[in-house]
Amino acid sequence: MNHKWILLFLIMTSTVFISGCWNQKELNELAIISAMAIDKNEDGKYVKTIQLVNPVNVAGGLQGGGSGQSPTVTVYTAMGDSVLEAHFHATSKVSRRLYHGHANLIVISEELATEEGIIDILDAFERDPEIRMTSRVVIAHHTKAGDLLKSLTAIDKIPAEKVNGTIQTTEKARGESMEVNLQDVVTTLTSAGKETVISGFSLKGDIQQGKKIENIQQSELDTTIESDGLAIFKEGKLVDWYQGEMSRGVVWILDKIHQTDVILDREGQENILTYTILRQKTRVSADTTNDLPVLTVRVRAEGDIREVRSQIDLTDPYEILDIEKELEKEIKKQLENTVIRTQQNKSDIFGFGEVVRRSDPQKWKNMKNDWNDTYFPNLKVNVKVEAFIRRSGNRTNSYLSDMEQ
Amino acid sequence: MSYVFIFKTKESKNDRKIQEINNQNQSNNRPPNLIESSLSKNLEVIKQKTGNSSDIIIRPLKIGHNSQIKIAILYVKGMVDNQSVNDSVIESIMNNQNLSEKLIPQDVLEVLIEDVVAVGGIKVVSDWEKLFTALMSGETITLIDGISKGVCASTQGGQRRSVQESTTDVSIRGSKEAFNESIETSIAMVRRIINNTDLWVESFNIGKMTKTEVSIMYINGIAKNEIIEEVRKRLKGINIDGILESGYIEQLIEDQTTTTFPTIYHTERPDTVAGNLLEGKIAIFVNGTPFVLLVPALFIDFFQSAEDYYERFDIATAIRFLRTVIFFISLVGPAIYIAATTFHQEMIPTELAIIIAAQRESVPFPAFIEALIMEITFEILREAGIRMPKAMGSTISIVGALVIGQAAIQAGIVSPAMVIVVSLTAIASFATPSYAVAISARLVRFIFMVSAATFGFYGIILVFIMLIVHLCSLRSFGVPYMSPLAPFIREEAGDTIFRRPIWAYKKRPRLISGQNRVSQGEDQKPQPPRTRIMKNTTNVEKGEPNES
Amino acid sequence: MEKAKISAYQLFILIVLFELGSALLVPIAIEAKQDAWLAILIGMVGGFCLYLVYHGLYSYYPDIPPTEYLQKIMGSFLGKILAFIYVLYFIYLSARVLRDFGEMLITSFYWDTPLFILNTLMALLVIYTVRKGIEVLARTSELLFVLIFLLGISVLFLIVVSGIIQISNLKPVLEEGIKPVLKTTFTQTLYFPFGEVIIFAMILPYLNRPAKVKQIGLLAIGFSGLILASVMAINVSVLDVNNITRSPFPLLSTIQTIEVAGFLERLDVYFILITVIGVFFKMCLFFYASVVGTANLFKVKESARLAFPLGLAILILSITIASNYSEHIKEGLHVITLYLHLPLQVIIPSLLLLIAFIKNKKKKRKQSKNLFPKRKYRLVERDKK
Repeated sequence: MNHKWILLFLIMTSTVFISGCWNQKELNELAIISAMAIDKNEDGKYVKTIQLVNPVNVAGGLQGGGSGQSPTVTVYTAMGDSVLEAHFHATSKVSRRLYHGHANLIVISEELATEEGIIDILDAFERDPEIRMTSRVVIAHHTKAGDLLKSLTAIDKIPAEKVNGTIQTTEKARGESMEVNLQDVVTTLTSAGKETVISGFSLKGDIQQGKKIENIQQSELDTTIESDGLAIFKEGKLVDWYQGEMSRGVVWILDKIHQTDVILDREGQENILTYTILRQKTRVSADTTNDLPVLTVRVRAEGDIREVRSQIDLTDPYEILDIEKELEKEIKKQLENTVIRTQQNKSDIFGFGEVVRRSDPQKWKNMKNDWNDTYFPNLKVNVKVEAFIRRSGNRTNSYLSDMEQ
Repeated sequence: MSYVFIFKTKESKNDRKIQEINNQNQSNNRPPNLIESSLSKNLEVIKQKTGNSSDIIIRPLKIGHNSQIKIAILYVKGMVDNQSVNDSVIESIMNNQNLSEKLIPQDVLEVLIEDVVAVGGIKVVSDWEKLFTALMSGETITLIDGISKGVCASTQGGQRRSVQESTTDVSIRGSKEAFNESIETSIAMVRRIINNTDLWVESFNIGKMTKTEVSIMYINGIAKNEIIEEVRKRLKGINIDGILESGYIEQLIEDQTTTTFPTIYHTERPDTVAGNLLEGKIAIFVNGTPFVLLVPALFIDFFQSAEDYYERFDIATAIRFLRTVIFFISLVGPAIYIAATTFHQEMIPTELAIIIAAQRESVPFPAFIEALIMEITFEILREAGIRMPKAMGSTISIVGALVIGQAAIQAGIVSPAMVIVVSLTAIASFATPSYAVAISARLVRFIFMVSAATFGFYGIILVFIMLIVHLCSLRSFGVPYMSPLAPFIREEAGDTIFRRPIWAYKKRPRLISGQNRVSQGEDQKPQPPRTRIMKNTTNVEKGEPNES
Repeated sequence: MEKAKISAYQLFILIVLFELGSALLVPIAIEAKQDAWLAILIGMVGGFCLYLVYHGLYSYYPDIPPTEYLQKIMGSFLGKILAFIYVLYFIYLSARVLRDFGEMLITSFYWDTPLFILNTLMALLVIYTVRKGIEVLARTSELLFVLIFLLGISVLFLIVVSGIIQISNLKPVLEEGIKPVLKTTFTQTLYFPFGEVIIFAMILPYLNRPAKVKQIGLLAIGFSGLILASVMAINVSVLDVNNITRSPFPLLSTIQTIEVAGFLERLDVYFILITVIGVFFKMCLFFYASVVGTANLFKVKESARLAFPLGLAILILSITIASNYSEHIKEGLHVITLYLHLPLQVIIPSLLLLIAFIKNKKKKRKQSKNLFPKRKYRLVERDKK
């Protein structure tokens, strides 16, 4: 009896080994993709660019030699009628299996987003279990999406890291960019009460220089890639670009600001005070008693004064109160400008529709279908700001106050 | 609960013939009154039976009035305490006054027993089997011409290893004595710790050829009677040629042989034995080995060391917890690495994945083969290290670790990450207190690696569940192997990964100990003194004002 | 019935692990959209009622498994047929669970591996365990429960720390009113996972303390109901309602969005660990119930020998019950709830309870009339452990 079991066991286990392990893939059999880009060329075909990591050149050091001589990434391009097909064509150019598990960046070109919209191209990304829904999405501004991938960067070995890192730090320090991942994009595309916003990135300089390793062997790079505002979408198509204060306004109303600066004019002089916001909370609420809802945006900001270019007396609490009031006015003005421009675009990127939905689902049902075109542009939006100045850094008054004029 | 006779052999024609001859020989000595009256005949039989071995000393003497009565003193040189034989037996007999008087042989026997032989343990034997057993275990036999009985004096001695420090179970705090090969010494060591009459010892002679003395020891009233009975039954059922070490006994009486995990604990230390006896376990001593078996043994026992109880509970808990983690690492370490790098690369942070990919570029083998090579190399090094003479031992380990490892990396045969993983695992496997479990872990680790190489994490978790199911199905002498974790017994579970403070051990383990379960009095938790001035409050007389 | 006893704590853990088993895997109650957690809680209350029904039957026949007392209540012939139907039902459910699990593994991690191989491995493990008996299963559950608990807590911790929960996604509560919630409950949540406690009717006779059965069962169902409701609530709050309805494995999608400290990301393996353990127990229990039921029905002495053939049957069944995933899901959510779960979990046990109640009343009346009842059979002593 025992023999039979042993034999059976052996047969079963050997079949497992003979047939091979289907899903097994060694790390050095994989081509690790760090970023992907989608363009459309003149023939109407999708152009997919993939950025592959050269592990040996990245790690370097330990194995001796290698680094500094060859680039850390390699870029391949392929074309096809759909995104997936373009992807398949790319495999004929690479000696290994393309691995998306670490692909953290997806770049979409401005043209594609404007003409066709992004609705059709995202399904392949969403469905593939290997592609992470937490990959960031970025729109290439004034450049081809593929070019953003080809440019080599200093400090960050892998350019995709630079893109993601830059957007992240910009969001945290300035609030003019926003980390948007694939999940967010899909959610906002399917949601009726919120439209998509995606951060932009652009290339400064000549891409032909950017591809070469000499580019990063200088102290000041000839070709760099930088964060560049926000792309506003309406129903999946790109309609506008915001930069500077405008984009910050969007991030503000979406309650994603961590830290940012507001410059004030005062006493007739311009750009006198710089106030750094350290903590803020933005709340949006809707009042649906009338036919047209009234939205209220409440901002509560706290921060310090970080740069003073006049002789203002910061030790006087009344002065501080005055400055606070000026701040509130300034912030309110900026936010209102953003809202007005967005209403002109007829695209509710702030999610006001969602807020209405949450407070009064019945009313929302009626307004859902025409929200962007009919209701949103005519909404009354009240912005209420409360700004608090807590401290002024390591000095009270500027040394300018002490200087004998 | 069944056990296996390992040495049952098929009978062939030759075997049968030999058995017949043996039976015949033995049947000659079978009738009860075995020893002949005639001394010379006895001596002849003895010489024939022992093949006139040169280390069996036969000392003829003449005693009695006019030296009429012949006696002979027999002993095995080297197995007796020479001083005791010479002084207490031979000299006593030669110089005793009572023996010089007129005596008949029967009286001689009584006089010898009551007056002459100055040794503590004395018994009378009348059949050959008992005589030879006594002779072969170091007792001195006195045969008297004309009496078909012999006097055995307990003079065991000879050179044994002295009591030394334990080599396998080292501790920082606690007694440093370890058992040695002499069973009396070992039993005595435990007796010194438990000075109680309830500590009972029963002896058996097991093994057809070796007749090894095996003793079981337990505390009456604490150990469960059913388990004691079962141990007795199993020991009596052992029917093999020789017991060379307690390991033989372990393999013959264990519950299940189809498992890599031990169900019987063994130790070299008397304090461990004593501690376990107090919980209701039964100790089995085997003459000739310092390793004492403890029965029944639970999985948790193999992760505890006596030192845990000598330190305070917070440190002991931390160390026990660490041991669990270490054991886990030693089991699945390489398997997780293989699974992560071959199936689930997304789990590794991107930078690390790139570094490992870079390392693996130059390695020709898949991760599993690499792991296998490293593991086997490690096993080779380990085995070599055991047999190495002490002088070269440390040199070889340095050579092995640094040179071979480093050279292998540079030659591109293995990747540095793999070396790290395997070395960590090997070190972790040394941290397990019990060697038996560490060996099991070594075997099971390979199973994990294979399953990781074929199915990634799914394989690992499946094998893990199978391991747990297997462990839960084991029993050690009727006690579930994984108690007190599963079946969860709350009072005892505190003693597994954690260690409760000593004052919290109120009761003995439920499934192991018998009737008497209360092990402590009330209120054992230490308290600071109740008054600021350290006055013992029980001495405060009634009416006396309390100074505070 | 084997000579085994399980303790109250072990029963509790078995029920909890069973309930969590495949319910963590699939999007239950998602038709109620963001009120899924509410549908689950209502389903939990329904589960209480069903459990009380099964417990009622148990209290009339404390020592024998349902396959036997079915015959006692409905008569030998009808009872045998019903018992057989129940055994087939358990086998089918076991195969469904296996299929669910295999599909999940293939979709997310092992898409090249054939379904048959993945299912075979799990089936082998389950067969191995069931052969060892209910006591071993109970002890294993105690250990693995600790593991699942630790994993669950750490996943929860990571989800909270990575800040991906957005409570606003759960609002508005009852957007469409209470009707869709109730509809979801009574067409889905009540039967899966709560109605499947009927399996424990086969296991209750093993408990060593009959008095505690009611308390333990209700506690366990309540506990698992709360956990499921909160898991679903977390799922909805992390992913949006729209994303959940399109995701076949919401918990997996949630875990995939965890990003902590820049390196703790892509922790999908957690999901594999949790679901393998959960599915393992669910399958084991279904399988065990069918083995014991079969052994009881066909008077087989050693139920362990049935494990291997029945296991093979379940394996093959799991491959053949549906030819693709959509079919499998549609069957599970729409077809069998009406035709299998409703009658077998709700209607028939309630009927049985009624009949048993009436029978017992009659017996009591008979007994009270008979002052000196003749002993018809010797009292057989139960084996002490």
